[in-house]
Amino acid sequence: MKTLCQNRTSLPLTRRDMLKRAGTGFGALALHALLARESVAANTPPPSLARAKRVIFLFMHGGPSTVDLFDPKPLLERDAGKPLPFDGPRIVSHKTGNLLGSPWKFQRHGLSGAPISELLPHIGSIADDLCFIRSMRCTNSRHGGALLELHTGSDTFTRPSMGSWINYGLGSENDNLPGFITINPSGSHGGAGAWSSAFLPARFSGTRIGSDAGGMNIPFIRSPLGDEARQRKELEALSAFNVDHLAARGPDTELESRIASYELAFRMQREVPGVQDISNESEHIRKLYGADQEPTKSFAEQCMMARRFSEAGVRFVQVTHRYWDSHGNLRKDHTRLSAEMDKPVAGLISDLKQRGLLEDTLVLWGGEFGRTPTAQGNDGRDHHPHGFTMFLAGGGTKPGLQFGSTDDYGFYVRENPVHFHDLHATILHLLGIDHKQLTYRYAGRDFRLTDVHGEVVKGIIS
Amino acid sequence: MRSSIRLFLFCLASQPATVVVSCAAGTLDFNRDVQPILAGHCMECHGPDAAARKGKLRLDQGDGLTDDRGGHRIVVAGKPEESELISRITHADPEERMPPAEFAKKKPLKPEQIEILKRWIAEGAKYEKHWSLVPPANPAPPAVANSSWVEKPLDHFVLAAIEAAGQQPTSRADRRTLARRAWLDLHGLPPAAAEMQAFLLDNRPDAWPRLIDSLLASPRYGERWGRHWLDVARYSDSNGMDEDIAHPAAWRFRDYVIGAFNDDKPYDQFIVEQLAGDLLPAENPERTRAQTVGVGFLSVGPKMLACDDPEKMRRDIVDEQIDTTGRAFLGMTLGCARCHDHKFDPVSTADYYGLAGIFMSTKTLTKYSVVAQIYTYDLSDSEHKQRWAKIAELEKQRDKKETSAEDKSRLSAEIDVLRKDLPLPFDVIGVTENPTEDTPVHVRGDYLTLGETVPRRVPVALSATASQPEMPKAQSGRLELARWIASPENPFTARVIVNRVWRWHFGRGLVPTPDNFGTLGVRPTHPGLLDHLARRLVESGWSLKALHREIMVSATYRQSAVADRAAKEADPENALFARWQPRRVESEVVRDAILTKSGRLDLTMGGSMLKVRANAYVDQGKLAEYEKVLRRTVYLPVLRSSGYDSQNAFDFPDPALCEGDRRTSTVAPQALFLMNSPLVHESSKALADTMIEKTSGASARERAAWLVRHILDREATETERLRGETFLSGYAPGDEAATWSAFARVLFASNEFLYIE
Repeated sequence: MKTLCQNRTSLPLTRRDMLKRAGTGFGALALHALLARESVAANTPPPSLARAKRVIFLFMHGGPSTVDLFDPKPLLERDAGKPLPFDGPRIVSHKTGNLLGSPWKFQRHGLSGAPISELLPHIGSIADDLCFIRSMRCTNSRHGGALLELHTGSDTFTRPSMGSWINYGLGSENDNLPGFITINPSGSHGGAGAWSSAFLPARFSGTRIGSDAGGMNIPFIRSPLGDEARQRKELEALSAFNVDHLAARGPDTELESRIASYELAFRMQREVPGVQDISNESEHIRKLYGADQEPTKSFAEQCMMARRFSEAGVRFVQVTHRYWDSHGNLRKDHTRLSAEMDKPVAGLISDLKQRGLLEDTLVLWGGEFGRTPTAQGNDGRDHHPHGFTMFLAGGGTKPGLQFGSTDDYGFYVRENPVHFHDLHATILHLLGIDHKQLTYRYAGRDFRLTDVHGEVVKGIIS
Repeated sequence: MRSSIRLFLFCLASQPATVVVSCAAGTLDFNRDVQPILAGHCMECHGPDAAARKGKLRLDQGDGLTDDRGGHRIVVAGKPEESELISRITHADPEERMPPAEFAKKKPLKPEQIEILKRWIAEGAKYEKHWSLVPPANPAPPAVANSSWVEKPLDHFVLAAIEAAGQQPTSRADRRTLARRAWLDLHGLPPAAAEMQAFLLDNRPDAWPRLIDSLLASPRYGERWGRHWLDVARYSDSNGMDEDIAHPAAWRFRDYVIGAFNDDKPYDQFIVEQLAGDLLPAENPERTRAQTVGVGFLSVGPKMLACDDPEKMRRDIVDEQIDTTGRAFLGMTLGCARCHDHKFDPVSTADYYGLAGIFMSTKTLTKYSVVAQIYTYDLSDSEHKQRWAKIAELEKQRDKKETSAEDKSRLSAEIDVLRKDLPLPFDVIGVTENPTEDTPVHVRGDYLTLGETVPRRVPVALSATASQPEMPKAQSGRLELARWIASPENPFTARVIVNRVWRWHFGRGLVPTPDNFGTLGVRPTHPGLLDHLARRLVESGWSLKALHREIMVSATYRQSAVADRAAKEADPENALFARWQPRRVESEVVRDAILTKSGRLDLTMGGSMLKVRANAYVDQGKLAEYEKVLRRTVYLPVLRSSGYDSQNAFDFPDPALCEGDRRTSTVAPQALFLMNSPLVHESSKALADTMIEKTSGASARERAAWLVRHILDREATETERLRGETFLSGYAPGDEAATWSAFARVLFASNEFLYIE
């Protein structure tokens, strides 16, 4: 999987020459500083502790109704139309309605017998690879708050995104690529807040790229010259100016790092288009993801792109599928959304598995919350942060597991509650990081992704 | 608690002051040597936080430490061997030893730290207040050996420290370098060739102070230094957080800040207007407007606007206001005390809720139900207001279906008359008053678990005197808070701003953590200098322009960046200020400098490009469009939900956070921007075209020299002229425009162009 990294091209302006001319000998330090700067990678725990090296987060924006997808409740069918037989939450977006049975049938899948809705046949077919947490909860009942809580651990303050924390904690697997890429993220409900590094150094921010094949571009990655030879000449001239400048000023790590940064940029520019080019994916792979047909094509291509980035060493890749916010039209919309998402997600996980990547790639699927088992109107469900399902795959999680549960109506968590903080602690743990140790001092205080919370969910670790 | 990871971070993030100034060798200084050990290893459980306190022991203050605690004393002054503090930290039994294993595992006390504590007790165990709680002293400028170097009193402080460390200041920078430094520093723009030439030809002995004065008098100064303050004020044209709606007329606050710097508004007044400008008396509507715009400071923070729990929403907004006020003006993290007494600084939860009462008595939103809306003033003249109302009425009539064509045109004409010379409504984002209320302590920050009600008050433990301003019954108390902060008696205020200004001039503060003057911040490297400048500021009537002059005329400021390896190795962080530390220009300056050098910069001031109704959602898709408007970057709308790729690449800070110490990273995306961005390509092309036109018939060497002189503000060397010639022959034979455009790009990307020297 490291072929891309091994094929590093010769440098356009060789560092050795440059530094020889500058006569400083500070260069190795500069390049090292440029590459390793400020991540805590130097303190990375022994690899034996790390079960995963990278994460792919399939974010279902809007809040999928997991009581209709993964968490069937016979009593919900039986008591449909009746009021909730216990108190609803104090804080709600809308008045709690009466129980609404799921319009869809469930079937048990695989050896693990995971119950999965008829809406998701492809995910059903890989049920034994998945690790379900059916006892997720968070504290905010609105999209923006819950989304930020999921991505940053806080619905109150501006905090770094988990992708930023992970990159800060682990450093880069491939210096020619950004460490955190988010494909087609939502501009609403937090926007950049979901991929911002906040007070962590800016290099740990997510790089946002568009959705379609043409638009999935890292900013400024393409030279408008379209002529590598010319650009090389420019960089040679630039190097000559910079080396003279440096020589006149004596050793300076920062100036040297900046000289080195052009080498890195040039290499990125060569490598990235290849990584982004999904046109050479084979026909059977395209079919596996559903990239050959509608309605799966768009999300399939994004999932394929995620695999390619992940394969090339991007630590944290996020793909967003939207918009699951079915206050009304639940039947129609969830049918459509499921059809768009089902095959690409199953395809991605199968593909990772067949390439041997699933072992050390952690896949996370889920929304910012679930939806109420109670009705909104006669064909809708409201936001529901009090009990919902997410699933993980690979990266040291237990395949075929059903962890935790909700009550008989799928409303509140009954056993093994897992808050987003716990999820974060667990993700970091699988990556070999102790969530209590990964801290950053900002304005006089040490901050953590999990703030003062978070317990590793040991039960889901294989 | 300090893990190895954290230690590593500390080295990178907090720049340990490797050079400690003003310390006579051998003497122990409580604040420098002892307090950090107590704060770092003991105060989580034995500090100001009463709820977390163990064994009824607090080590953040000296009271009671020598009391008899049943046959033993925590501290027996002069006798470490009899002091329990020492016996516990050196105890053979791990069960008894402090800190407890769970802490010690991550962050053990080092033998040398134990030695320091022993020595401290042996020397009498004296406590001193945290340095920032003590009012600025009036230190006499220390004596120096090389007194001929000194230009201003401040140089005495700097030089004395340099000499004490056995170092020397570096030589004075040449005039050309200094001029470019001054332009970039004060205007955020490099000089035009003619301006540079004029300065170089000015042989008067006071040419340098004259240059500084003229730069300070230009409106470009406010655009540059206002932007520094906007970092601190976490300025944004949109709300961000969960719902990114437009901040109504936030640009007026931005223009207010720029204007305040240009007008040299006294800093104490600047503080009061930002916290309570709406409450100040005003003799006319003009004045009301000018002052009220200031309280945009409290409203432009990030707010959760779609929260189903309006009580939480309200308290979170108050919390953000308290925290930003604390950081911006006092360098204190007051927000920490929302859930518990501050772990390290003397701010209790009661202090916090005393402040919270002030902000709970302040209105920021008009409605708390989802999606909440931000309070806005309409401060138009009443005559204008009436005209706007009339226009609205006529438009309604005109747009009715049944209105005849004839009436329609008559109404339109009437509207046109009304609109003539009618200024836009003077809408202003900013807080106003709510009914006053005192707030109870929220136990662990939870508004459902209320403790004792705290009368509105200021955190007096942070002031030199314990006296509380009297809180009015019928007003929030914001004005009293503002005046308490803006007082010369407040030990933080003048120091914090003086340090910010120093940081923005030199890239490093005298207190290296400009947003944190608390016990976890880094101590000042030059405490005497900090106090000296703080006093000078107050004496000057809080004039920031006077402070700039003072700093820039100094010998310290005028040093060269050229230093030998030994000097750099002795003081890699330049904590001694024994040379000029070159630093990369900020993200705005990258863009503005390239635009101005290519002749494309539009210097129109003020106003807004954000054509979005107040409280309507902003459109991130428009960013590319905004960026194409070639005005100074400070005028580009700042959206919290999305930024400009070019700005983000060069460390534009997260506009939701108060930031007085922008980072300067060096990363490949910056190189990609300079190599490939449309802005750089279009600018280099424009400049190359101009150059070719102006130098018709000139040789390649002359043209290369022209570009070097134009972009880098200096004459080209012979090597560089030759380099231009070689470039012309090899880059794109026959295509001069492409060649010189590429050559300009090379210069725009060069370190010399991007660094302030």
